[in-house]
Amino acid sequence: MSQKHKNLYEGMYIISATLSDDARHKALDRIQKGIVERGGSILKIHDQGRRRLAYEIKGHREGHYFVIYFDVIPGAISELWQEYHLNEDLVRFITLQAEKVMEKIEFKPLLEESP
Amino acid sequence: MRNMGQKYSEPNDFRSKKRKRCPFTAAGIKHIDYKDINTLSRFITERGKILPRRITGVSAYHQKHLTNAIKRARHMALLPFVAEV
Repeated sequence: MSQKHKNLYEGMYIISATLSDDARHKALDRIQKGIVERGGSILKIHDQGRRRLAYEIKGHREGHYFVIYFDVIPGAISELWQEYHLNEDLVRFITLQAEKVMEKIEFKPLLEESP
Repeated sequence: MRNMGQKYSEPNDFRSKKRKRCPFTAAGIKHIDYKDINTLSRFITERGKILPRRITGVSAYHQKHLTNAIKRARHMALLPFVAEV
């Protein structure tokens, strides 16, 4: 019944910037595999590149940001979190329910008013 | 009472000048995204604190969503919790 119903999620992941390109791809594959193994599917991956963190996290000053859109059954999310907490290449993550897949990460600017 | 009326009708009064529309309503933004750091950073202080809406003029509805977005952005280290000045 509800077991089959999949929700759309958006996950943002910070992967350690100290990893080599190869290791980073592996870490990303691992994240994708975790979703696919639970019957989900990856809809879109945005590579946002290396970015300086606003504050230090476990000794990391920089991180590689990824935004992944995926759909999976709601029960799988808590399992994914458990897995993410054990993943040492993953500095931080967030998974949120999304309304739609953003094809491009762009935003409408506010109207410019003289401050 | 007379003063109250004056406050909004007097154009030279800075308080009446500050009165403005909610920037999100004006731009027609319904969903405030935590990834949109350029917009979010306009609503925090130099220190990284969230500005009250009495200063920014954001509507209550949008302030609620803005706060959430800023807190998410902080969690993902996109914005600082405390910025060193």
